[in-house]
Amino acid sequence: MNDRSRDIGPFVPAPDDDMIICRCEEVTKGEIRRAVHDGMFTIAEIRRYLRAGMGLCQGQTCSKLVKSIVARELNVSPACLEPATSRAPMRPTEMYILANEEREV
Amino acid sequence: MNNHADVIIVGGGIIGCAAAYYLTKKGCSVLVLEGSKDIGNGGSSRNGGGVRQSGRDPRELPLAMYGIKNLWPTLSEELEVDCEYHQDGNLRLGKTEKHLEILQGLADRARACGLDVRMIDGDEVRAINPYLSDEVIGASWCPTDGHANPLTTTLGYYKMARRLGARFITEEPVIALKKIKGHLRQVITAENVYECDTVILAAGLGSRDIAATVGIDIPMQPAMLEALVTEAQPPMFDQMLGTAEADFYGHQTKHGSFVFGGTSGLEGFTKDNHTPVTSSISAPSTCRGIIKYFPILKDAKIVRTWAGWMDLCADKVPVISPVSEVPGLILACGFSGHGFGIAPAVGTVLSQLALHETTAVDLHELRYDRFRAKA
Amino acid sequence: MERFDLIVVGAGPAGLSASIEGAKKGMRVVVFDENDRPGGQLFKQIHKFFGSKEHKAKIRGFRIGQQLLKEAADAGVKVVLGATVEGLYLDKEVTVKIGEKLFHYKGDAILVATGASENMVTFPGWTLPGVIGAGAAQTMMNLHGVKPGSKILMLGTGNVGLVVSFQLLQCGCEVVALVDAAPQVGGYGVHAAKVARTGVPFYLSHTIVEAEGEDCVTGVTIAQVDEHFQFVPGTEKHFDVDTICLAVGLSPMSQLLKMAGCRMEDNPAKGGQVPVCDEDGQTSVPGIFVAGDVSGIEEASSAMIEGRMAGLAAARYLGYVDDAAAETGKEMLEGQLLSLRQGMFAPGQKGKKIETTEEGIPVSENLLKHGFVADDEILRFPGVTKRVGIHPVMECTQNIPCNPCQDACPKGCISIGDNITALPYVVEDAKCIGCGMCVAACSGQAVFLVDEEIGGGFASVTLPYEFLLLPEKGENGIALGRDGKELCPASVLDVKTAKAFDQTALLTIKVPAGMAMRARFYKNPSREGKDAPKEGGAAR
Repeated sequence: MNDRSRDIGPFVPAPDDDMIICRCEEVTKGEIRRAVHDGMFTIAEIRRYLRAGMGLCQGQTCSKLVKSIVARELNVSPACLEPATSRAPMRPTEMYILANEEREV
Repeated sequence: MNNHADVIIVGGGIIGCAAAYYLTKKGCSVLVLEGSKDIGNGGSSRNGGGVRQSGRDPRELPLAMYGIKNLWPTLSEELEVDCEYHQDGNLRLGKTEKHLEILQGLADRARACGLDVRMIDGDEVRAINPYLSDEVIGASWCPTDGHANPLTTTLGYYKMARRLGARFITEEPVIALKKIKGHLRQVITAENVYECDTVILAAGLGSRDIAATVGIDIPMQPAMLEALVTEAQPPMFDQMLGTAEADFYGHQTKHGSFVFGGTSGLEGFTKDNHTPVTSSISAPSTCRGIIKYFPILKDAKIVRTWAGWMDLCADKVPVISPVSEVPGLILACGFSGHGFGIAPAVGTVLSQLALHETTAVDLHELRYDRFRAKA
Repeated sequence: MERFDLIVVGAGPAGLSASIEGAKKGMRVVVFDENDRPGGQLFKQIHKFFGSKEHKAKIRGFRIGQQLLKEAADAGVKVVLGATVEGLYLDKEVTVKIGEKLFHYKGDAILVATGASENMVTFPGWTLPGVIGAGAAQTMMNLHGVKPGSKILMLGTGNVGLVVSFQLLQCGCEVVALVDAAPQVGGYGVHAAKVARTGVPFYLSHTIVEAEGEDCVTGVTIAQVDEHFQFVPGTEKHFDVDTICLAVGLSPMSQLLKMAGCRMEDNPAKGGQVPVCDEDGQTSVPGIFVAGDVSGIEEASSAMIEGRMAGLAAARYLGYVDDAAAETGKEMLEGQLLSLRQGMFAPGQKGKKIETTEEGIPVSENLLKHGFVADDEILRFPGVTKRVGIHPVMECTQNIPCNPCQDACPKGCISIGDNITALPYVVEDAKCIGCGMCVAACSGQAVFLVDEEIGGGFASVTLPYEFLLLPEKGENGIALGRDGKELCPASVLDVKTAKAFDQTALLTIKVPAGMAMRARFYKNPSREGKDAPKEGGAAR
């Protein structure tokens, strides 16, 4: 069980809060930290709340960074936080190509 | 740990979070138990974001109309989150005469309930949305419909409810409900027993097994729905879209991406490995559908696809109802894939039911005991 | 739907090796890779690999890639390039984007060998253009012939950071510093030493404070960190650079496996999210196998063996080899893998402080702190001896699984013994003929030929040289020490190139006799600027 009302201490502003973490969606460290204090305790919630990791690279660049920020804020090990679900397509793909299915070579 | 609350809500989706919010706002002590790791993990995070009245069954239409009139317009402000609510109308598109017949039927039924839905021809459609292909020959048009962001709305309700003192526990699946001396009092999980005066059961498909522990059955079954999202595009239009054939629905988000849901025709029969996984054929099929209506989007890149289960009720409308045989139990399930748009209204009426107040909308058509054999 | 016995995702060292093994056992194998060129990271590796013969040691990575491709073609493997596997679905079905079409295929077995992606670290300015991954820099240089920048700071002293720094030097960039927050160099000492001797300073227990610049990187400030990785005020150092390379680790690209429903674990020792799998590389989904970095970050050499093991396991799974043959093959491969996973850099040694070598010799502290073995440390290692006449000097001071030098000498002057991680030593009675095969054979560029007295108070030093343009016989320049500092005048006695040296030139310089055991690099200031190497003109 994961009690979302447990005390994680107050949000303390930090000098590097305006540093961008998710480049695709331009989400800052401060936004991520604040979201944790708003109750977003999982990577999926952070992603859905802020769009961090939802951009073109699908979190390839920032997922570890986001994870470590959230973990530090919650005072847990990053390994405890499950990464967001992986979803097809593995690379952004034009609609007309996805639509153009071929079943045999 | 204090295991008591006035109201225990089983299910941390948008229905549970909204009910938690409206109840804590009224001073109730609320505990929300969510089985999965994430708040809003089910349909709440997987739907297409429609805030529609048109196309709805008359039995649930009053809820939709109430929410759009009274709740959605101020929701972002209230929840201190951008719900991205847009009220720019809903176009339900048709490409054949048969489609237009279906649309006409839907429009007639809605108008009978006092909703402004009218039929428009192809040129009128393209005047509203110039990106639609010439294949579109007509549509039903409901100017007061719209769309919103299900992710931020769900988590916004969660955030505010939590801030007002609602307690949320995730990874705490409910195994059973238990009556004590004739009144539902206990909510039992693997390791804990929680106590309360009222239980709101809003656990999607999971509600069926939980309700069974107090001898109640709601006829519902899963159906998989898949959706996809494109990379951001320049702003094009603000309407919510659907089709008579139901081959896709969707809208452009504030972010610029298009979110489309679609069906392959096999969603009632898809298998899974106990998680909602996309099938290899659905996204291609949805893309083909979209391109026919929106040739301009053919080069837009799909960034993600996802799947979710609908809790498909036998008659396709939800059960929102106190259970007279189990005093203390309120059901809110079977939303059948269109619960998001009515969630604020449902949260409101659930809070009213829990506090024995008169509900803002008459709910008698959504009772739990309405299901009957055909003869 | 077209079905294969084995679908391999990723044509890198692991995927190609698996496909070869599978096809040799009679399986119908297809390999998909999203890139236009096969080989994964191998074709970016222009340095010689470590290991033993069976690990393809002393062969440059890109040539190993060429060998694998040929073996795959000979075995009948179908390699489809420009083919992006978009999803891995139930029933072991993949969708593959090829050209403008989406193809569906099923495999009775699937091997995911998608490799890894580069980690990033954040500091103010980390999103400025000019901050790039070290692997990206390598791709630019070695695949596309593009110089990543002119003045570069490298963050990270693991093997990637060290190898890429050397390659940046080879392609004509100035590497202003190698920086690492850790208190000691993370990669092989020999990789560090070949960078340090060119004059690149190492800053351990330092990290980046800030990248400067408005629209792109124009400078960088680093500072020392204490044991809690907090900056020590007053230790800031500024460098004018246009590029900052980050070599701060890799993460397995395991998304397809997660999508397929394989049980995953977060394993920091393996670099992040990896599938839980058995010793054959089979995941929790029967018939889905993994090999290479996607199952845990390691070197390409181990990826190739893991690939063969997974290919063999897939063949066994589908009944193409019987249990007995599979067990025999597996044992042999496990032996090879085990020998690679030995020594000071073995997976189990991560983070441990090693005081002495297997031989009981105190390790070089200076190597760990500054990237080179100090003059007063070098003589304690068994490869470094003083004698009359020309003789090899092996400045190999760490136990790593590598032994090409002992086979390279036709006269048997060098021995390592059966233990592949042992330090090489000079055999007492053997007579060096000065052929230089050992100098060219050493993947770490750590072997030198020294003649401490060639007459007239001079000595000669023959060193490996992998830079363009080659010095000319008779020219005069300066000898540098292991620390990269200018030591003494030097003149070029000879420049030897040979096919057997595989692009490593042997440069023989004449230095004052007292410098024989100190001079380890050569530069000619009068040539600098005039004959700067052309872009992309690394050793290939």
